[in-house]
Amino acid sequence: MSLLRHIASGMRALLRKKQVDAELDQEVRTYLEMATADQVRQGKNLGEAKRVVRLEQGGPDSAKETVGAAGWESFVETVWQDLRFAIRTLRKAPGFTAVAVLTLALGIGANAAIFSVVNAVLLRPLAYKDPGQLVTILMNGYGPVSVANYIDWREQSQSFEVMGAADYWSPNLTGVDSPEHIRGLKVTQNLFPMLGIQPLLGRLFVEGEDQSGSEHEVILSYRFWQRRFSGDGAVLGKTILLDGNAYVVVGVMPEGFQFAPFWATHAELWVPNAFGERVHNRGGNSLRIFARLRPGVALKQARSEMATINAHLELQYPGTNRDVVVTPLKEKVVGEIETPLLLLLGAVGFVLLITCANVAHMLMARAAVRQKEIAVRAALGAGRLRVIRQFLTESILLGLFGGAVGLLLNILGSRALIALSPPDIPRLETVTVDGRVGVFLFAVTLLTSVGFGLVPALQSRTVNLNENLKEGGRSGSEGIRRNGLRSFLVASEIGLALVLLIGAGLMIRSFFSLQRVDPGFNPRQVLSMVVSVAGSKEADPGRRRIFYEQLLERVRSLWGVQAAGGINHLPLGGDLWGWPFVIESRPTPRPGESPSAVYRMVTPGYFQTMQLPLVQGRDIATSDNVTAPGVVIINEQAVREYWPATNPIGQRISFDSDKSNPTWLTVIGVAKDAKQDDWTAKPGPEVYLAAFQNHDFLGDSGSEVVSHVSYITLVVRAAENPAGLTSAVRETVWAFDRNLPISEVVTMDEVVAAANARPRFEMLLLSVFAAVALVLATVGIYGVMSYSVSRRSHEIGVRMSLGARGRDVLLMVVRQGMLLALSGSLAGLIAALLLSRLMAKLLYGVKPTDPLTFAGVAVALGVVALLACYIPARRATRVNPVVALRYE
Amino acid sequence: MGEKGSDVVQGTLDMLILKTLALEPTHGYGISVRIEQMSKSVFKVNAGSLFVALQRLQRDGLIRGEWKATENSRRAKYYVLTELGKKRLSSETREWERQVTAIARILEAS
Repeated sequence: MSLLRHIASGMRALLRKKQVDAELDQEVRTYLEMATADQVRQGKNLGEAKRVVRLEQGGPDSAKETVGAAGWESFVETVWQDLRFAIRTLRKAPGFTAVAVLTLALGIGANAAIFSVVNAVLLRPLAYKDPGQLVTILMNGYGPVSVANYIDWREQSQSFEVMGAADYWSPNLTGVDSPEHIRGLKVTQNLFPMLGIQPLLGRLFVEGEDQSGSEHEVILSYRFWQRRFSGDGAVLGKTILLDGNAYVVVGVMPEGFQFAPFWATHAELWVPNAFGERVHNRGGNSLRIFARLRPGVALKQARSEMATINAHLELQYPGTNRDVVVTPLKEKVVGEIETPLLLLLGAVGFVLLITCANVAHMLMARAAVRQKEIAVRAALGAGRLRVIRQFLTESILLGLFGGAVGLLLNILGSRALIALSPPDIPRLETVTVDGRVGVFLFAVTLLTSVGFGLVPALQSRTVNLNENLKEGGRSGSEGIRRNGLRSFLVASEIGLALVLLIGAGLMIRSFFSLQRVDPGFNPRQVLSMVVSVAGSKEADPGRRRIFYEQLLERVRSLWGVQAAGGINHLPLGGDLWGWPFVIESRPTPRPGESPSAVYRMVTPGYFQTMQLPLVQGRDIATSDNVTAPGVVIINEQAVREYWPATNPIGQRISFDSDKSNPTWLTVIGVAKDAKQDDWTAKPGPEVYLAAFQNHDFLGDSGSEVVSHVSYITLVVRAAENPAGLTSAVRETVWAFDRNLPISEVVTMDEVVAAANARPRFEMLLLSVFAAVALVLATVGIYGVMSYSVSRRSHEIGVRMSLGARGRDVLLMVVRQGMLLALSGSLAGLIAALLLSRLMAKLLYGVKPTDPLTFAGVAVALGVVALLACYIPARRATRVNPVVALRYE
Repeated sequence: MGEKGSDVVQGTLDMLILKTLALEPTHGYGISVRIEQMSKSVFKVNAGSLFVALQRLQRDGLIRGEWKATENSRRAKYYVLTELGKKRLSSETREWERQVTAIARILEAS
């Protein structure tokens, strides 16, 4: 009750200020009049009576002040007053305000933009039920697992509530107007229930649907449903043709649902995974395992249980089940991007610090100019706290403006970030300004405002009333203390900028050494695309080889085509298969030690098209067909590992699992090492089989194993612009069959760029931040030096009238500035030495302590600082002693 | 206690105002004079602190103010004790007496 009354009365005082004031005024006046009248009655004359009352009671205004300041509303009133005053002050200095707001907006906006990315990618939990309990189980933490293994784990482990598995599957969608190569997954029935996500339409898979013979249902993603069925609700029960087989649509997943969250992130449909005869397969690794920990089971327990199970399995089946790793799903999803993102967040935090320092000394310079105003206010009775509050109000107002503009920059900035970012950053599409980003933005704004506002505000306490009120108050050389603080701010700005510049410098150096990496082949002017035959008449084993051969022949005859060939999976861009093999007339290797190599199948013309040189032997020829003896080309690394002392040409190897009567392949050539799937990794052993001899490639092997392919990746070397050939090649394919889906049309240059997308992104962002930091620090040192020169014009005038020459003055000022720059740089160098270690993982071909970068950046920053000092120093030499002295 | 009289003991001004108003509703100056008279000039009330206290008591709902003409036909705000104010006065008086007795006992102990 009482609280309500207080609020009501306070509100009345605020809203009906005039009336309340008038009442109080009258009350106080009556009081004083009565008191005076009493004194008169006691025999004093009127003048003396008034004097006594005034002495005893104070004037009417002071009483009113005391009453006015007692209620809570007076606080609101002062804030309002301060605010209005602050707005007036800022409007009177539009230049200052604009620069300060923009600087702040830049700092705050950049921070919020990076934070929104960090929030979406790292902080937000995965969009599944109870995602903290979800784990993945993979070989070495990334590699796939065999079906037999999965079944053993599922049956033997106790730590998991559910364990499910997924296979990558990219079928052709046919029987429609525009056939398409689609990315999807084959999943075990229990996977979706494990994620705890309900379908938007229809149902999930039910038990038994992942048994062989009954796996003809499909669940669609929201995007696929929208794209292909325009969001038609009657899609359930319809049939679609995938790789020529009919699948019934049983469900549609909600918008934003994504599975798997890593690796096959673009999956658009899911079908049941029937293992069939593969349940006994321990060799073909293709499954990714997902599991949910039982409630109360710690990750550590699950890991040690899996270790025990795998140790047993290894005894049973030597050479398998080593290095199985259980990883929390979230870690698997964001693990790799965590370091670069946190690095960027740190870098952008530095930018914010520099921003704060810059605005702080802008405010300090202003505060110095406003000393007289402050002195007047103090003389009129403003307490210290009141003055500090006024200053803080101004800086918070500036901060809020900065934050508001920063919010705009954040929205633009995060859009730009998404547009610039490499495609493999998970969950980037979920970047939004949500509550957490809002809170972050607001907190940063407030902290920043108080941070840059408090220093000048506290400094205003040291105002010397007497000195400042004197007519024409002396603006002589400044006290050491204030100068020291400002110098400290500038030096730290330079130090911070140096750290950022070194970080950016290292990234740039690293990026250039990445650019110099030789992929082994020549990616310039090569176009590639995947042509799928699955589900078409060209898929027939008898027709497939003829189709491929004719297609390549016609593509080669296109105008502007220099060479063309085919391969199963493109280096750097496609899938990567590894296969164990045996070498003829060598003892059977111990389990787990048999030679293995990256396994590719190529058509004649591939090496020529890619300009991947053969260092020894001959290329695969058209005559190496199904009737001719099997041939294979190996890379230099394979020679180094498996034929270190002998000539490999003429040696025979076999990939057959049938050890009694293997199909031998004769080594006919050695190719230069080419990059495989990682731009920076050293290529491992690799073999190139003749595609037109390979029954898996030609589709007539009749086996169900994973090596089965139903597509060819064309590579075409153009005389000029490779992308310009796209439609011609596409028409050539469609001249055979309008129903053949063509996908992944890219130039090899694009493939190489994509392999370097992440380092490029990191380098770009860090460079932008460093550039901003450099500009701000330069502005900072320039501002401080010009300010110092203008404040010291009197002193400089005295010096010059005493005989100092222009050069002496110039040197004096430059020396002062460079001292700041040097001490800042020194601190920055030390900090950079300590911090650059954190980015070691992101660097290639350059050490985190690369002396060239450190020295180069320090010198460059020194030159910039010198320039920033030189301009004010020049101005100092032009001080006219007569004017400077008379002005006082 | 000096010639000039002393300030009211911290926290008791409210109680003294309530007591004054319990005897008879009056205006600000009346309260001040009454307190001075009744305390035989021991306590002097300053206008500033008096009006702050009056504002506080009003907000607490213990007193109510109304504008009236004085005997000298000035307009003055007269304060009246509310029901809540009466209750508060009696409870505070009791509490005060309890404390005074206790303090006296301590001071008289030998």
